[in-house]
Amino acid sequence: MLPTELRASLAEQIASVDHPRELLVDVMFAVQDHYGYLSDQAVEEVADLLGMTPLEVEELATFYTFVYRHRVGKYVIHVCDSVICWMDGHESLVEHLERKLEIKMGETTPDGLFTLLPVCCIGYCDRAPAILINKKVYGPLTPEKIDEILAKLQGEA
Amino acid sequence: MPNIVIDDREIEVPAGTKVIDAARQLDIMIPRFCYHVALGSVGACRVCAVKFVEGPFKGVQMSCMIDAKDGMVVSTTDEEAVEFRKYVIECLMLHHPHDCPVCDEGGHCLLQDMTISGGHGIRRYLGSKRTYRDQYLGPLVQHEMNRCIHCYRCSRFYQEFAGYRDLGVMQSANRVFFGRYEDGILESPFTGNLSDICPTGVYTDKPSRFIGRRWDYERSPSLCINCSLGCHTVASARYRQLVRQEARYSEEVNGYFICDRGRYGFFYASHEKRPRRALVEGEEVAYHQAIDTVREKLAQISGSAGPEAIACLSSERSSLETQAMLKRVCQNKNWSGPLFFMEQSLAEKVKTATARLEPGLTVSLRELEQADFILAVGADPINEAPMLALAMRQAQRFGGRVVVIDPRPIFLPFDFQHLPVRLHEVDLYLSLMIKAAVDRETATELGPSAAEFYQTIPTLETAAVPLQEQIATLAQELRGCQRPVIVCGTEVVPQTTPALAADQVLLLKAMDKQTGLFYLMPGANTFGASLLSGDDGSFSTTLESIEKGKIKALIVTERDLFWKYQNKQRLERIIEKLDLLVVLDYVDSETAQKSDVFFPVSSLYEAGGVFINQEGRVQVAPKVYLGGTPIKQNSGGGHPPRVYGVGIPGSEPRPAWQVVVEIGNGELPPDEETAFATTRKWLAEGNPVFANLPPIDQFPDDGVRLGPALDVGSRFSLDWQTERHPKRNSDGLELILVDWTFGTEELSIYSPHLRQVEKEPCLSMHTSDAVRLGLSSGDKVAIRFDGGRVEASLCVAENMASGVIVMPRHRLLEWQKIKELPRIVRFEEIEKVSV
Ligand code: SF4
Ligand code: SF4
Ligand code: FES
Repeated sequence: MLPTELRASLAEQIASVDHPRELLVDVMFAVQDHYGYLSDQAVEEVADLLGMTPLEVEELATFYTFVYRHRVGKYVIHVCDSVICWMDGHESLVEHLERKLEIKMGETTPDGLFTLLPVCCIGYCDRAPAILINKKVYGPLTPEKIDEILAKLQGEA
Repeated sequence: MPNIVIDDREIEVPAGTKVIDAARQLDIMIPRFCYHVALGSVGACRVCAVKFVEGPFKGVQMSCMIDAKDGMVVSTTDEEAVEFRKYVIECLMLHHPHDCPVCDEGGHCLLQDMTISGGHGIRRYLGSKRTYRDQYLGPLVQHEMNRCIHCYRCSRFYQEFAGYRDLGVMQSANRVFFGRYEDGILESPFTGNLSDICPTGVYTDKPSRFIGRRWDYERSPSLCINCSLGCHTVASARYRQLVRQEARYSEEVNGYFICDRGRYGFFYASHEKRPRRALVEGEEVAYHQAIDTVREKLAQISGSAGPEAIACLSSERSSLETQAMLKRVCQNKNWSGPLFFMEQSLAEKVKTATARLEPGLTVSLRELEQADFILAVGADPINEAPMLALAMRQAQRFGGRVVVIDPRPIFLPFDFQHLPVRLHEVDLYLSLMIKAAVDRETATELGPSAAEFYQTIPTLETAAVPLQEQIATLAQELRGCQRPVIVCGTEVVPQTTPALAADQVLLLKAMDKQTGLFYLMPGANTFGASLLSGDDGSFSTTLESIEKGKIKALIVTERDLFWKYQNKQRLERIIEKLDLLVVLDYVDSETAQKSDVFFPVSSLYEAGGVFINQEGRVQVAPKVYLGGTPIKQNSGGGHPPRVYGVGIPGSEPRPAWQVVVEIGNGELPPDEETAFATTRKWLAEGNPVFANLPPIDQFPDDGVRLGPALDVGSRFSLDWQTERHPKRNSDGLELILVDWTFGTEELSIYSPHLRQVEKEPCLSMHTSDAVRLGLSSGDKVAIRFDGGRVEASLCVAENMASGVIVMPRHRLLEWQKIKELPRIVRFEEIEKVSV
């Protein structure tokens, strides 16, 4: 169950727009931030808040890369999976990450720290190869830089 | 209008026509998966590729995405285009499970056809296939997602066209999935259309699973008789069993789709309990023996008590042939009747509607889709005539406004404005709105009676009713619209409403609008019944005469007296009292079970027949198959029994009109065409509208709309001064009996599959009334009627009128204990039942 306060503030935002549907992504993010991911219960709560059906929420939730319908790690690493990054060493980047974290694309480390996911072009072609970690962009990357970043995050956790 | 050349042939088409449609007009069928005339273009499948040789586009393009333009030269046979389509098909087949031999779509599958015609036979792709988990979607539609080619037809139909919100498209890329959020029964009453429009076997017809291939079936065009709209269907039978119905395209009536009540409502025809032998006092006898018995008894009664001691009751679900024949026999024999209605007030309302459907005002269901303002009074489309709701949705999708004036908790699959007023206020609200939209001068131009009529309608200001502002705004919109249509129900509305609706349509028309009038009626052939029904006598006087012993015999064709009559005890008593009850039917109704002599008659699928829908459209249903006991039923699942005999087992039922002729000791016409011709001649003598009907085998597909059918009577005759305005009942709730999509219609309730999608029957009342009674949604309540208690759960609703209680005539409710109608349910007669 969402905390009453969050529910109320979302309901207020929704009430202030003409077409509640347009807030679907924002509401999903807010609820996802609360739970850590968008669980089935969360989908149903979002639907209820917006007067939509769970199916309608699911249609967008499962389409949109940044909405997680499964439990994810504390840090979600989205590796850009698009042309410019491909040209600039995407493959070895993925290999390195997978080896280092000992997980495959789409998986989460057993300690629950990192999740590895692809994302299509994030618009940082000038910094290719690039990744996003919890919406923050890093690039251009080399194996050394990645090790540094991961070590830093591990230290912070 | 653009001129375009396709495969060296030229055609002129209206601007905005897609190339794929222009080609169709030349009888060139360009392959398509995602494109559907009713759903439009999305360009998802790429199989409609053609080569544009000249004109604004060049090269291989999608013919469903490009409007025909002057100077275009298109080739569908160009090598490059053919090759392109071939690869598209191969690509769409990459993940296909290659399970055509066990797929129910096999044999009428668009994907299969295209794969074969595209020449794709050898699999080159060696990767692994994408697979899905299927869902349980309820008893009507089977899901098998692995066959999907991502054309989006299903989600577009379900959400955009039909307006339901529990099936759609999820995921992305190679994982795209069409289905529900979770397993469960689909919520829409139009789900069967998924099986029709899916170009592969993802959605297939569940009740007919594994029964046969299309070429195994006896297939024929047919009509739906589960409500008054008369949608077009294709019926299929196999091994003497009716197994499936599909939607059949109709330009004027239902378009490409039908509702689930119609599609799955046919199970009565092959029902295990369907009576197939004539019965005398419950004993099976040969048909002719039953005829002799009836004739003998009727002769006795006629001799001793006079021919008027024999009464006949026809039905709204009988074909025109049966209705007419019964009337003819009655006239020849001087028997009483036939009556066509059990409720006199309904008969009068329907007759008014029939009379007021003047040419120039009547609109068909498809024409209604073009309306820009629909005002529905006393109509509950989803429950009374589901396809009407779908047509209204199309009007609304293209910008039309929909307003419903009705006390019931109306649901429609789109946004509309609901004025939930009580029944006796319906006339007032309708008139207030029209008066506010129409100028006095315009009304005056229509003549003195119109002027006076207009004058007597109170103005919005003087009426001082609730919802005043809403009406004023809507009236303003109504003023500005071009193609308004008034939809008017005939069942729950007051006596005056059908005529009033027609008057208001005339006022709107005088405002230079292209105005339409659309009535709903209670049965498939109610229109025919109203043309034939005479002015003499009503069912209640007939009942009295039976009680007084003046009527001694009753002949009932294709009707269950108990189905729609509110006083079961009285019916039981009069049946006791009768010397002879003769029933002709194809279902084992309660009336049939209580008859002295019973004749099994053919169903629509075996006899065919002429039906007139609610807009006066005369349509013909051909025969589908010969009838007989389904082999499955008399073989116990094995080889059919080797019984020596002639004829088809269980094929004793014959068309009801034939039985009627024989009961009346008439000569049977040599064949059916002669029968129809003579019936029609006789009908035309009674009513000239029948004179111009074509011969039965030359009927156009969309039937023939009758001209002015009855004398219009007096227009603008409602007198507001004497209009009684019953004051609010402070000590009770007005009872309204209603239909539901599933569970209240006499024939479709025999479908075991529809029984699974029926909702549990409940009583509805407004929140304020529930609060007053200390009740809430879900409570089990009992109402003490004069014939006993009726228990049901309660639905409390905000979107309905206060002061009323709404009750479905549901097969699971014993509403026939009500006894007297109209009925006010006093508060103390409603009590909460503790569970
Ligand atoms: S399920 Fe059928 S209709 Fe829906 S997208 Fe797939 S192939 Fe098309
Ligand atoms: S709307 Fe009426 S006529 Fe049409 S398919 Fe449904 S029940 Fe049959
Ligand atoms: S029919 Fe044109 S792209 Fe599918």
